[in-house]
Amino acid sequence: MRIRLLPVWLLVALALGASLIVALPGASYAYQDREHTLTGASLQHPAGTDELGRDRLVRVSAALLLSLAGALAASALTTAAAAAIGALAAFAPRGVAWLVMLVCDAFLALPWLFLLMMVRSALPLQASPAHSAAITFLVLAALGWPACARAVYSGGLGLKRSDWIMQARASGLRGAQLIRQVLPNLRPLLLPQFLVCVPAFVIAEANLGALGLGIGEPLPSWGGMLLELDNSALLFRTQWVYFPVALLILVLLLLEAIPVEA
Amino acid sequence: MKALSRLLRSLARTLALVLLVMIGSTLLVRLAPGYLSDAREMDARYSNTVREELAQEAARSHSLPRMLAREANSWLHGDAGISRQFGVPVRELIRPRLAVTGGLLLRSLLLGWALALTAALVASTRRKSGIVWQAPATLLLAIPTAAMATLCLLAGSGGPVFVMALLIAARDFKFLCRMLRQAWLEPHLLQARAQGIRMRRLLAVHVAAAIGAQLAALAGLSLVTALSALVPVEVLFDVPGVGQLAWNAAMNRDLPVLLAVTLLMALAVTASGMLGGQPSEWERA
Repeated sequence: MRIRLLPVWLLVALALGASLIVALPGASYAYQDREHTLTGASLQHPAGTDELGRDRLVRVSAALLLSLAGALAASALTTAAAAAIGALAAFAPRGVAWLVMLVCDAFLALPWLFLLMMVRSALPLQASPAHSAAITFLVLAALGWPACARAVYSGGLGLKRSDWIMQARASGLRGAQLIRQVLPNLRPLLLPQFLVCVPAFVIAEANLGALGLGIGEPLPSWGGMLLELDNSALLFRTQWVYFPVALLILVLLLLEAIPVEA
Repeated sequence: MKALSRLLRSLARTLALVLLVMIGSTLLVRLAPGYLSDAREMDARYSNTVREELAQEAARSHSLPRMLAREANSWLHGDAGISRQFGVPVRELIRPRLAVTGGLLLRSLLLGWALALTAALVASTRRKSGIVWQAPATLLLAIPTAAMATLCLLAGSGGPVFVMALLIAARDFKFLCRMLRQAWLEPHLLQARAQGIRMRRLLAVHVAAAIGAQLAALAGLSLVTALSALVPVEVLFDVPGVGQLAWNAAMNRDLPVLLAVTLLMALAVTASGMLGGQPSEWERA
């Protein structure tokens, strides 16, 4: 095992561990053990319970899986959209490219969190927790593409002027055929963008959740669990309240430590 | 003459961007699946027929062209729309909070930059960058702003300026360090250092001139970083600024206020981007 890939293996191990915990018989992130609210670590609840008596370890594990899966899916979507838009702008006529880049700049000028809050607050009042989770990550994916598209556009312009593309054009390759040849060459550019987006989306979801605008209860999320820290009365009863924050920081550190050329 | 034409072109582009941002954000809000939802829909006393009528009425009064025209008109009149929650012009809600947010942003940016520049200067002059300098920045970037603010509150030390300055410093440190390292490797600077010219003179005369344009662009990015941290910081530290107003509007589905604040932030980012891009434009002209 190469040491550079250690963060990836640690993340995989964490995800496997979390899946195992969530899949254990009797483990439920929504079950409320009303006789054991806000308890510390015990055999029954290894990381204690929250103020509603829900097992903290199960909730943290489910939040980890949900957040990683959501961020990975959103990142894949946003990278694919950026690849398509960036490549289109690079190989389209100048006027189209100018317009596409202007739209990119308009998106880049909008601060993420404000836009997220705006779209998130305009959701239906009766949206289910699963819907709110899906919509949160979809909105993240919809807003994350412009920076990546700009990078793809620059890379695409470089390729457009390369000798082999000129040769391909001279040989009669056009439109979709050309793009099919170009996309694999943009992979070294797309992978880092994908890897940069994953921790950014995890942080955005946590920040939104901490403001009460993230994934709805009872689905567990990092942001929702950060809200526990707002109640200082709880903090004196058990130190396990800090467990989700500590794990979130560890996950983010691991995500940021993944070598981009891996 | 060339510089003037570039400036005019840049202004025209900024104006086009602002217009696009206004149209885009209005479109996003209007097309959001719950835009037409009304709190009365949740009231069990209303029958299904009444709810359907409410929805139809909302759809009629919120057609997209009409909404865009109303938005543009309200900005031209300077009141930025009417708050759904308070029933007053949004301008009256934003104006008293602008000074609070402006002060917070300015102090955070100054402290953040001072921290980042000092650390980057020291780190860039060392032979090995070392984990000692990179690790704190990486760790700080891995903590969500809301968590950092909450932990500061729990520890009873550090305020909103401190949290935002740490975030700005952590983000800018890596860029500054890389920039300075590249600048130090310039042949004339290597020669000047070998000749024993004092560090202060080198920084003032050579390094600052070499990285000035990049610093201006980075300043624009710092503003974006600060704005993205504004809402959690103002909400958690109970600072009565624009970020707190936006959060309150989001919680109460007061979309005119949220739209106005978002547009204001976009204006600030666009203007700072334009100013940040100017030094390099002037150099080229």
